[in-house]
Amino acid sequence: MIFFAGVSLTLSGTVSLLQNLPGDFSWRHPARALQDDYQQNWRFRGYISDRLEAFLAMATDSFSGHYYGYYGGGDYFAPGVYVEQATEGTASFVPDIPWELQEIYEETQLQPDPYEWIFNPDTERWEPEMEFLTEEQRREQYRKAARQYHDSIKQDENLLYSISYDGKVLYANSELLPQEDKLTPPEGYNFLLQYAEGKVRIIKDGIELDVYGDGYYRNDSAWYVPGYRNFPADEDMKKAVIYMAVAREPVLYSESSYGRGGYRQMDNSLYWMQYNTRENRRAMIRNIICLGTGLALLLASFLCRKSRQEANAGIARFTGKIWFEAKILMGLLILYPLFLGCVMWLSQNYGDSISEVIYQAEAESYGYALSYVGLSLGQAVFHLPVLVWILLFWLLYLAFNDLRYNRKVWKHGLVAKLCRTFSVRDLKQPLPVRTAHRNGAAFAAAAVYGLLMLAGGIMGFTGGRDAKGGVWGLGSLFFLIMVGFLVLQYRIGVKNMETARDMEALTKRIRDIRNGNYAGNGDGSQCALLSGHDLEDAMAELEDIRHGMAIAVDEQMKSERMKVELIANVSHDIKTPLTSIISYVQFLKEEKELPEHVRDYVKILDEKSQRLKNMVQDVFAVSKAASGELPMHMEELDFCKLLRQTLADMEEQITGSKVTFRTELPETPVMIMADGQRMYRVFQNLFQNAIQYSLEGSRVFVTLQTDGQLAVASVKNTSRQELEKDKDFTERFARGDLSRTDGGSGLGLSIAQSFTEACGGSFSWETNADLFVVTVSFRILEYRT
Amino acid sequence: MSDCVLVVDDDREIVKAISILLEGEGYEVLKAYDGLQALDILATRQVRLVLIDVMMPKLDGLSAVMRIRERQNIPIIVLSAKSEDTDKVLGLSMGADDYVSKPYNPQELAARVKSQLRRYTLLGDINAGNCAGEIRNGRLVYRTEEKALYADGEPVKLTATETRIVDLFMRNLGRVFPAEEIYRRVWDEEAFASENTVMVHIRRIREKVELNPKEPEYIKVVWGIGYKMEKQKKRN
Repeated sequence: MIFFAGVSLTLSGTVSLLQNLPGDFSWRHPARALQDDYQQNWRFRGYISDRLEAFLAMATDSFSGHYYGYYGGGDYFAPGVYVEQATEGTASFVPDIPWELQEIYEETQLQPDPYEWIFNPDTERWEPEMEFLTEEQRREQYRKAARQYHDSIKQDENLLYSISYDGKVLYANSELLPQEDKLTPPEGYNFLLQYAEGKVRIIKDGIELDVYGDGYYRNDSAWYVPGYRNFPADEDMKKAVIYMAVAREPVLYSESSYGRGGYRQMDNSLYWMQYNTRENRRAMIRNIICLGTGLALLLASFLCRKSRQEANAGIARFTGKIWFEAKILMGLLILYPLFLGCVMWLSQNYGDSISEVIYQAEAESYGYALSYVGLSLGQAVFHLPVLVWILLFWLLYLAFNDLRYNRKVWKHGLVAKLCRTFSVRDLKQPLPVRTAHRNGAAFAAAAVYGLLMLAGGIMGFTGGRDAKGGVWGLGSLFFLIMVGFLVLQYRIGVKNMETARDMEALTKRIRDIRNGNYAGNGDGSQCALLSGHDLEDAMAELEDIRHGMAIAVDEQMKSERMKVELIANVSHDIKTPLTSIISYVQFLKEEKELPEHVRDYVKILDEKSQRLKNMVQDVFAVSKAASGELPMHMEELDFCKLLRQTLADMEEQITGSKVTFRTELPETPVMIMADGQRMYRVFQNLFQNAIQYSLEGSRVFVTLQTDGQLAVASVKNTSRQELEKDKDFTERFARGDLSRTDGGSGLGLSIAQSFTEACGGSFSWETNADLFVVTVSFRILEYRT
Repeated sequence: MSDCVLVVDDDREIVKAISILLEGEGYEVLKAYDGLQALDILATRQVRLVLIDVMMPKLDGLSAVMRIRERQNIPIIVLSAKSEDTDKVLGLSMGADDYVSKPYNPQELAARVKSQLRRYTLLGDINAGNCAGEIRNGRLVYRTEEKALYADGEPVKLTATETRIVDLFMRNLGRVFPAEEIYRRVWDEEAFASENTVMVHIRRIREKVELNPKEPEYIKVVWGIGYKMEKQKKRN
């Protein structure tokens, strides 16, 4: 409560203080703004200077050339300005005296018109008609004007004056004025001005004022009077003597006649001046008190901040319950009349300048008009009634308070509720229907938008600038609706963007699954991401598919792993008894006293146990390789060297066999990426096969060829036995001879294939009649020099 | 005095076979059929070497190895049906000195037992430190000044070329040499058909040095690159 009052008072105090600052207010002398004495006012000085100038003109009958000058504190005084309003409704006109005199002069003038230009036959030029008047005629005109002027102001006894020239009194409205030597103002008057010998002396409250300062006239000199060193009175003027006395308390002089019932005020400028000064001062004091109390209250409210916050929260709780639409409506209901009222008020008070602006805009450049509008609008807004500002402030305060304490204010409202129900219902419909709905809505919005534009255009066209208020009001209403529709369109656009993004996510997910990434992101996080969106169902279905596939793949992996484990366990379980067998066969072999046929049996046992040992190892290796669990040690190696080393390693076997090897290997290194140990095993198997199954005396061709990208090694041999057509030799336990009586495990090619593929190479074989060809190819790395 | 060897395996026939084998070589053999039994025997008897299986009831081989290592520094050879490289690495890192996979070759097993015992008893830990001009690598010691190679403390007879190859390898333990480079440095000639020549010599050296020339531990082929002397892990 304290806070409310404090803020209101401070605001009103500040605004009205700013609005009521007098024209000559300066921050250096703030006390001057509270001046009680109207004779200290710059306006008063301007008034006196003006009168003196007019009286001088009247005395010398020559006032041309004195009308433009500086008054008071350097403000330029346009002819005829309202005295600033102290209280509403009282405005009085302070006439610009020399101009008035000129006007009177122009009115009283009979002939000729000074602004009429005629052709002068003597000089053969166009000249103003004035020039044709004789000096005497002109003086007569001046005098006539001066008399009229005198008549118009003499009844205002707030200002007494006497004007004499060459010792003779020409005009005077009082006998009370002192004579040449005595410089005391008459009773009731406290200000006396004497002009004599081209110098001005001023006595105020019995003290003589320092009129000339250092003797030079400047823009900031207080008195605009003749007699400065750079501004002396001419000879003619020196003959004039003028006395002026100003009343301490000016009173209102008026005249009315019973018969006509008319009422006429005298000049009375001084009275109004005093009145305004006092009123101003009173208003100022009021404002300052207002401001002071406001600030004090504000301070107090800051001291009890906690209760203020509670109050704010309370207000927010209350406002939070109100529907958002109701708030907007209320805000509009307040703002709109306020706006209209302001427009009305502005057009009433500043209508002239606005229409002038419009006129300017039509007549001249828009830039000028705009700057002018800015200027005058700024002034106008500045002068808006205090109440408007306070109201605006509290509206904003309420709005901010609401936004601060209540989250997502816009979610609590009729439209939001409708939107929610609508979107929930919308999501139940298939995607194409939804898209169509949205497009329809977008189209409707665009149509209404267009219609409004059209209506606005027509209104602007036909309404013209005469029907101001109505057009403004309707125009702004249309503008608001238009903004609403634009927002709607934006929302639809956002929704479509969302759908597009979701579509992207969906396609990405599909691509992922196609690439074999079955492992979901957590469980269905992707699905949760799209909840409430258009593609939720599609995503969920895709997730189901993915889930099913993931399960299937998992199962497969598991069974593969189990197979490998089984083989590992079996091979381990076979190895233990095998160890005993081999050990004891060894002992048997070492027995010296065995009969010959028993030795044969032992020899067979020895061979078979060794073969069993090899087979167990091969089975284990091939099953591991097939399941991809073989540990690999990949490194860069020379394919060519690998083949040479393998051949060298097996040299004994080769030379002991009945086949010969022909090699065709490049001299330069052929670098590939592979596991050397495994590839050695591959070629060892291949060469062993070749040795074992080749026709006696035939040749085995080992070649390595490169074609830039690939290194292809091939082993060709001629089979001893006829090769069975369409037989898969790499199948496990497949053998060239069906009898299965030779030494191999039948896993050689299978292991070779598995190892090659595990190293990233490709393995293939073909048969052509008795020719058996195996090719192993790898991608070539960059050559190393 | 014959050395006492403890054989531990849950398969009694294997224990018997090994004991026959080792007794034939002149060792005294103690038998145990699980890890706990082995620890009991080790607590009461002076044992020079342990041969132990991995998969056993009550206390498995690797745990037993760790328990033995807590108190004794005797050589331990692990016998296992697991032949994967990772199993070997695991066994050796647990504190075993050697690893023999089943089914083992009896001669090889006997050779390994002999080698471990020789190193333990003859050379012991007294000579563990490097003497000047001596390069040690596992079982092998190469004396650079004499240009002589010793395996388990016994001199190995090498030909002049083989000595040069061994010299190159022992001075560059672990480095891989392409056949061409070996050829150039040993024969001092430009390499021509070097692979086979070098391989022949390497095979001969292996037969003299390795316990099982078919599965060499010291002179190895780095397939597709070259040859090297494998640097053996030092036992702490």
